[in-house]
Amino acid sequence: MIKLDKVTKVYKGEVVALRDAEVDIQKGEFVFLVGASGSGKSTMLRLMNKEESPEKGRIWVAGKDIAELSSWKVPYLRRNIGTVFQDFKLLPNKTVQENVAFALEVIGRPRHVIKSQVPAILELVGLAKKLERYPHELSGGEQQRVSIARAFVNRPLILLADEPTGNLDPDTSLGIMKLLDRINRTGTTVVMASHDRGIVDTMRRRVIELDRGVIVRDQARGVYE
Amino acid sequence: MALKVDYFVKETGRNLFRNPWLTIATVVTVFVAILLVGVSLLVRSGVQNATARWQGGIEFIVFMNPEATPDQIDSVARDLSENPQVETAEFKDKDQSYAEFLELFADTPEFTANITPDVLPTSFNVKPSRVDPELIEGLVLQFAEKPGVREVVAASQAIREIKSLSDGLSTGILAAALLLTLAAVVLIGNTIQTAIFARRREIEVMKLVGATNWFIRVPFMLEGILQGVVGAIAGIGGVYVVNGIVERRVQQADALSLLSSFVIKSEDVFTISIFLLGGGVLMAAIASAIAVTFYVKV
Ligand SMILES: Nc1ncnc2c1ncn2[C@@H]1O[C@H](COP(=O)(O)OP(=O)(O)O)[C@@H](O)[C@H]1O
Ligand SMILES: [Mg+2]
Repeated sequence: MIKLDKVTKVYKGEVVALRDAEVDIQKGEFVFLVGASGSGKSTMLRLMNKEESPEKGRIWVAGKDIAELSSWKVPYLRRNIGTVFQDFKLLPNKTVQENVAFALEVIGRPRHVIKSQVPAILELVGLAKKLERYPHELSGGEQQRVSIARAFVNRPLILLADEPTGNLDPDTSLGIMKLLDRINRTGTTVVMASHDRGIVDTMRRRVIELDRGVIVRDQARGVYE
Repeated sequence: MALKVDYFVKETGRNLFRNPWLTIATVVTVFVAILLVGVSLLVRSGVQNATARWQGGIEFIVFMNPEATPDQIDSVARDLSENPQVETAEFKDKDQSYAEFLELFADTPEFTANITPDVLPTSFNVKPSRVDPELIEGLVLQFAEKPGVREVVAASQAIREIKSLSDGLSTGILAAALLLTLAAVVLIGNTIQTAIFARRREIEVMKLVGATNWFIRVPFMLEGILQGVVGAIAGIGGVYVVNGIVERRVQQADALSLLSSFVIKSEDVFTISIFLLGGGVLMAAIASAIAVTFYVKV
């Protein structure tokens, strides 16, 4: 589903954020990217949805070489990739359901599809009773559920999550992990950057560890270490 | 599709009202620029009609009697062509004079209805070798004497001055209009940049969920174009008002004065309006397209 072949990313000609990275992720896998802050986790995720382009190497996503992808096709790539962030990136002036609907509206989905899918996905993430709330009226965990709903409402093949539990307390984090696990069980490939030891250790999934831009470990059913 | 139209209308409206003063400043600038271009075109077209016969260095016209014989006409033609002080002399027959006459008095059909080609004189439009009042006066006197000539009419100093004045005037106005157009382009770009900055969170989300560049850009472009359209329509309204004022002044003027021939045909005003609307929209569209391509990238 995702394959990195000797990928090197250099920022501003001097910061080597990723060096010769080799990664092969199968469809339906759940993968943790772990490593200290600044080790290159976010960079790897940003390369996967072409927010960044590599200086060297090739990247395949869903069978396509995205290094070759012309810029007008990038939006269509991203429709197959949901993204979730530590800071949720919700729009403060829109309600919960408007935030989720927005993601479908701006890719031109018809109204009846939006009407049926938005409540369904919000039900799935456990927010059926809070459709009309604004983000500031929700707890951090609830906000993250909204952002996951928004990332998943279009049923993407891949979900990229960049420290989705970074701002949440352990109990709430566990709830978010259960949700991501459920999404993964529907066949969605999940790649999640984290430096939350507790979470990585409980999930027991594949772990790829980065150290200053270099992959130092790639282990099935691994722990944080 | 219906949903998209809703979306674009909603977003465009929101952008416009986010910063009303900037929007107003932009629209007013477009309005003044369009008005100036319009007035300059009006002046040009009016002066052109008033001085239509005196284009291209024609300094005097030798009108023949309507009943002048072909021999008399030939002889005047020969004298003109042999005279070293005459550079060119262009003959106009009755039909050409009639066509020109219809053109000049197109706005007063009650006048043209009674005229037929035979009552109009044939004439020679003469361009002298030098624009020298003494030389021209000599030629005028000389040809007025020839048999078959009814009269010789010279372009007066007044006409010459009006032409150069109006040329200067409309060039000046056009230069000012050009500067204002530049200001309008910058302001439109600026409004769009402000709107894009105000909505950077939305734009970030749109990119992440896979909205296409053009989908993101369209509301901002429509905003710029709408400002151009509103400014241009106001400018065209202004042009009609100016034209109305000029028309009233011309009607009140002494029929024989130069001003009375300063007519702007209503079809000219219409053509100018279409041109202004097209120009305004094109300018706004280009400014918007540049701004959105510059500020919204994948
Ligand atoms: N946009 C950027 N411009 C310059 N340097 C960057 C940029 N993004 C990240 N970096 C650098 O690249 C390295 C890896 O960063 P990042 O991928 O964010 O690591 P992580 O997500 O593991 O904390 C760091 O040294 C960081 O400072
Ligand atoms: Mg990071």
